[in-house]
Amino acid sequence: MAKTTAAPKKKRKWPIFAILFILPSFVLYTSFVIVPTVSSMYLSFTSWDGVSPDIRFIGLSNFQEMLRSERVHNALRNTLILSVVLVLLENVAALALAMLVDQVRWMRNLFRSVFYFPVLLSGVVMGFIWTIILNYNFGVFNQLLDMLGLAAAKADWLGDPDFAMLSIILSTVWKSAGYYMIIYLAGLQGIPQELSEAASIDGAGRMQQFRHITFPLLAGSVTVCMVLSMINSLKIFDQIAVMTDGGRASRPKR
Amino acid sequence: MNKATVNDIVIFIATLLLAIVFFFPIFFNLMSAFKSNAEIMRDAIAFPEGFYLDSFNYLLTETDYPAAIVNSLILTAVSIALMIVFIPMAAYAIERTNAKWTNFIFLFFLSGMMVPFQSYMIPLFKEMKMLGLYGTLAAPILIYVSGAVGFGCLLYTSFLKGIPREIEESAAMDGCSRFVTFWRIVFPLLGPCTASLVVLNGLGIWNDFLMPMLVLPSGKPKTMIVEIFYYVGEFSSRWDMIFAGTAMSIVPVLIVFLLLQKYFVKGISTGAIKG
Repeated sequence: MAKTTAAPKKKRKWPIFAILFILPSFVLYTSFVIVPTVSSMYLSFTSWDGVSPDIRFIGLSNFQEMLRSERVHNALRNTLILSVVLVLLENVAALALAMLVDQVRWMRNLFRSVFYFPVLLSGVVMGFIWTIILNYNFGVFNQLLDMLGLAAAKADWLGDPDFAMLSIILSTVWKSAGYYMIIYLAGLQGIPQELSEAASIDGAGRMQQFRHITFPLLAGSVTVCMVLSMINSLKIFDQIAVMTDGGRASRPKR
Repeated sequence: MNKATVNDIVIFIATLLLAIVFFFPIFFNLMSAFKSNAEIMRDAIAFPEGFYLDSFNYLLTETDYPAAIVNSLILTAVSIALMIVFIPMAAYAIERTNAKWTNFIFLFFLSGMMVPFQSYMIPLFKEMKMLGLYGTLAAPILIYVSGAVGFGCLLYTSFLKGIPREIEESAAMDGCSRFVTFWRIVFPLLGPCTASLVVLNGLGIWNDFLMPMLVLPSGKPKTMIVEIFYYVGEFSSRWDMIFAGTAMSIVPVLIVFLLLQKYFVKGISTGAIKG
């Protein structure tokens, strides 16, 4: 801070207040975000067991070891598949929900809330609910398949590596679509009604209106949602921890 | 019926069906919280036979759940309170001073937005131990507030640009100090911004899992979400307990959401556009 106090001399009245106003955030942020981040970077070049005072500098060997590790490759592959599929499905689902809610005539706010409810859940709770719904023996999903006469389609949705990824993807779409729907809805409400009216007078069908009017005007929202869902899918942790480890031995391999 | 009404009905039915699918898992959870374990095992879909409250009773009297609820409430409330005191102050000074050094601090704050918590949590953990904060509620609170600085400043500075300086200048003419001007005049004008900060961070803190799990001491009650995570392992065959526990974490959020719907929706759309 010493440096910063010397800098502005022209505006007499500001510096003291500015410093006092910025100081709390600055101290907190520096000590609990920047300091640990920098030391984390430093630690990545050292050999350290996490407890002992013995920290040796070993250069890039940690990174080399990671590049060779089969487990890391597997985790990276899983994350990549998950993120790409999630970004696409979440956005398609969110846009579809937003279009429906935007056009529905009755109980619009109720529908918006219902689609948004899953966003309010924590990853742990959500992962847990789906673990039970998809349980092989008592799960509601298999029970529903039974009732519909589709017993052949029953599967161990989370235990079987072939289905685990799919189950995780679909349940995550369920959880997050509502969040992006709100952003798309805000975008849709910003599009003037006259445009689609004019288009329909000119004889444009629903699909044509969507392609040439709605979608281009939503471009901003699409970008925002894509970026946000990319960030969120790369950070995903709680629900996967619960859904793949919660009482089960097998983990999704693919 | 003309074509338009038919269309409306089709859209309504499609939305209704989707809404049922979306709401079902939550409804299923809340409903199952009132069933006994035997009832759940026998028929998962059936409605509860009566209001079975034993699992709530057990959780609230025999386990650490009440202490965990208190912890969750304290963490959320105190972190949010500190955030809405410190962050707008910093953002105000940065935006209004607009000198080289404040612009630098602004960029410095923003740089942290890109760093995920997981990448610095181990040194942070050490640091908390060194400061003697490990195991206290202060640790997660400080971490939450620090983590919100970047995004919060971005949100507030862009909002402040739209507030005319003349208001503050006239207050200063009338003899208000900078401090009083900020709290009496500027802060109330920042209301919409504060609402979205509260909604976005409040939900995140209430639902957080990784941090309270790491930073709060083992063997003592942590937060609701962490306790639920343990119950999933501990009571793996007692689903009634788990349903009751999750129901207790969902219901407060649902109630707050239904009361403050407007702010949630606004918070997300402004948060997304500014972020």
